[in-house]
Amino acid sequence: MLNLPVPDPQVMARRAEIAAHLRTIVPDGVVADDATLTAYDGDALTAYRQIPLVCVLPKTAEQVSAILSYATRENIRLVPRGAGTSLSGGALPLADGIVLSLTRMSRVLEIDIENRCIVVQPGVTNASVTRAVEAAGFYYAPDPSSQIACTIGGNVAENSGGIHCLKYGLTTHNLMGVELALLDGERVRLGGKHADDGGLDLLGIVAGSEGLLGVVTEATLRILPRAPASRTMLLGFPTVSDAARAVGAIIAEGIIPAALEFMDKRCIEAVEAFCAPGYPADAEAILICEIDGMDAEVRDAGERITAIARASNAHEIRDCRDNADRARVWSGRKAAFAAMGRLRPDMLCMDGTIPRRELPHVLSEIAAMSEHYGLGCCNVFHAGDGNLHPLIVFDVMAPGDLERAEAFGADILKLCVKVGGVLSGEHGIGVEKKALMGEMFSDPDLAQQQRLKCAFDAQSLLNPGKVFPTLHACVEQGHMHVHGGHLPYPNIPRM
Amino acid sequence: MERITPQTEAELSDAVRDAALNRLCFEIVSGGTKRSYGRVTEADRLLDLSHFSGMQTYEPDELIFTARAATPIAEIEATLSARRQMLAFAPADWGPLFGEKSGSATLAGVAAANACGSRRFKSGAVRDHLIGCRFVNGDGEAIKAGGRVVKNVTGFDLPKLLCGAFGTLGALTEMTFRVVPALSRAPAIAIRDCHADEGLSLLRKAAGLPFEATGLAYLPAQLCALSTALHAAHLSQANGLALIRIEGAEDPVIDKIARLRDIFSKQNLTVLEDDVTAALFAEIGNGTPFRQHNSDIWRLFVPSTRAYEALAESEASFWYADWAGEVLWLGLPASREVEERLRKITAKFGGSAMLMRAGAQARSRLSVFEPEPPARAALTRAVKTAFDPMHLFNPGRMYEDV
Repeated sequence: MLNLPVPDPQVMARRAEIAAHLRTIVPDGVVADDATLTAYDGDALTAYRQIPLVCVLPKTAEQVSAILSYATRENIRLVPRGAGTSLSGGALPLADGIVLSLTRMSRVLEIDIENRCIVVQPGVTNASVTRAVEAAGFYYAPDPSSQIACTIGGNVAENSGGIHCLKYGLTTHNLMGVELALLDGERVRLGGKHADDGGLDLLGIVAGSEGLLGVVTEATLRILPRAPASRTMLLGFPTVSDAARAVGAIIAEGIIPAALEFMDKRCIEAVEAFCAPGYPADAEAILICEIDGMDAEVRDAGERITAIARASNAHEIRDCRDNADRARVWSGRKAAFAAMGRLRPDMLCMDGTIPRRELPHVLSEIAAMSEHYGLGCCNVFHAGDGNLHPLIVFDVMAPGDLERAEAFGADILKLCVKVGGVLSGEHGIGVEKKALMGEMFSDPDLAQQQRLKCAFDAQSLLNPGKVFPTLHACVEQGHMHVHGGHLPYPNIPRM
Repeated sequence: MERITPQTEAELSDAVRDAALNRLCFEIVSGGTKRSYGRVTEADRLLDLSHFSGMQTYEPDELIFTARAATPIAEIEATLSARRQMLAFAPADWGPLFGEKSGSATLAGVAAANACGSRRFKSGAVRDHLIGCRFVNGDGEAIKAGGRVVKNVTGFDLPKLLCGAFGTLGALTEMTFRVVPALSRAPAIAIRDCHADEGLSLLRKAAGLPFEATGLAYLPAQLCALSTALHAAHLSQANGLALIRIEGAEDPVIDKIARLRDIFSKQNLTVLEDDVTAALFAEIGNGTPFRQHNSDIWRLFVPSTRAYEALAESEASFWYADWAGEVLWLGLPASREVEERLRKITAKFGGSAMLMRAGAQARSRLSVFEPEPPARAALTRAVKTAFDPMHLFNPGRMYEDV
């Protein structure tokens, strides 16, 4: 059903030999017994599990190169893996594939405050990047909700966002350079501490490539000076439309808040029962708005947002007075997953992006779908950039529940595309949404993307079966593989 | 050269297929202002995209617009400014550097050449604002890439790859950009009479402050004397100027300017009015000082902390710096000797050197772009072939066979 590559029994029969060879590369970092391999059998898309053939945990870029060139020589598939927090199954292993876990490459290599950047290995966690530079008054802006666990390598692969990306951008906007290990074991530098490389912007496509193009062995990240002031406001609205109108008005006013989060009534009720963050009980929707900057900037934006909220019928406008109050307001937003998790044992977190103005329409459609499928759903929404996270709760043990939950999720994403949005804002396509790629792209569109994949990975060895709905060998793509960069038809004169 | 001017995407596809059959290749032009930027393209036909012009949808509330690829930037900016919005990367008007008309640059041309002004330092390059596009590839297929929302990881980010590709991967037909609110105030602090070393170090200091400066440039005395904007502000006698532009609403801007005055109280300071600041940063982003100066131009990209050393080793006497020193505009001859000197600098400090303006002969003889190590060069060629297998588009524009 997931349409993953058919495992090659000949490769599967070679587990001991492959493990032994990998041990010659990484003597203390190869796992090849099923019991231990269960730790690597999937990611945060919990409905799918697969024990890999073997897992290797390199410590150096040289080892990564050696593993890649060995796998290429032997035609063995690989799945790169960070912390395994992907919500789209990006790190789902293959039965005949090597899991290449980067978690032991977790050193901060260089802190360069004067050039406002930090150089890290791919297994460094997102949160520890900020920890490394906060004493100097700096931080790393992308902050996916899994930031205490998720790694920079995974963030680059999924182009992770987070609550603050409305103002500060996604991973791609804060990524200055990478060292990328290619399938043949060569490592290339893309970008660095400078603005322009010249040449094609290969760094731009590596961000968000879901581990299909190469393995990041080092990343240079932009760090920013921490704003001295910030202010968190809680706004309660009698209708979804009022809240949506306030979002539009804030943006139209020229204010770019650091964060602008939306929660619907079902979500408010679930988190109130879970951790009592003190959200207004009679609100159909709330917005949590955070603004940051210099004192005067924050004061000015706060006043304008208050006026907009009033004009949009807000019946609750609360300005968090201190850090404790602010932490309480944010606790509800951060606990949304956990709160929904108490309702039913399993959850699907969807991730479409829509034009902001479509929010009231999309939410009412989702409510109707929830009714139709008989499954609960609540909505949290990065409102400023239109990124919707419907949380569908179900019970995987209940017959038919998983199928209904997936169909419900697929309907939501099709609706996102129909209103002018996209399938994924920040979680990636992985295995979860690949069957829906045809909703957004035509066959030639997808074939073009797959030809790009082939330019990096002619044997389709790196994370195959992800992102694209169908598997193609590169020769089927209508193009000759260009070996070593030589032109096809070298004898045709080109003037 | 035969000029082909397709009127529709279907006609464009046909033209490409026809060229493939006949083994003919194209030089792609949109506004045609930067034809002598990059290596010399030896093409059989001119593929003129100028018919793909005009705003299609502008949604100010969603902060996006979609326009046909050859729409003039001037037309886009007029439409956006009527709603107090703008393109955040400050599209540069480089035409006059190449002897072409001012104000004729188009969306596609600016994207293909990655032509950004001073705001890039804070807001990113063209690629950070192009969220979706349509283009025709070398097989004559019309391809859609990206989307119409800012936050999107649905498939590979092809729009980013097309930016800065000098038309070597495909012919753009339609582009969707995100825009930002234009802020009501944009003055700058000018630190007067500082030597390049000191000026560049002051800019770095400002870059590390949480003021979100949107322009950090340094002009040496010779350049101050040439600036029309500075002449109007009676600063053309300055012996070196470090410029810090601040943007925002009225009160926050006044506050930030006051704080900057405190921080840099030991220096000679002048606050530049918004209109002077705008004119000055337009000159800086557009390379205006080089319009009258007939030298060849190199642009050198190095880490900010290395800017002064790089400058000294470049031996340039006519130059200026933008992006807190991350880009140096250098008036140096397009000679083998200078090329070697600059490549030595980039090898030492990291970065790249690009020959921006020179005669056709020099642009054929020298590496216009920073040469790539073999593994990366092979990847570049494989990517080119993935989009344009017959090498129909702008052959040789970036590298010998790309």
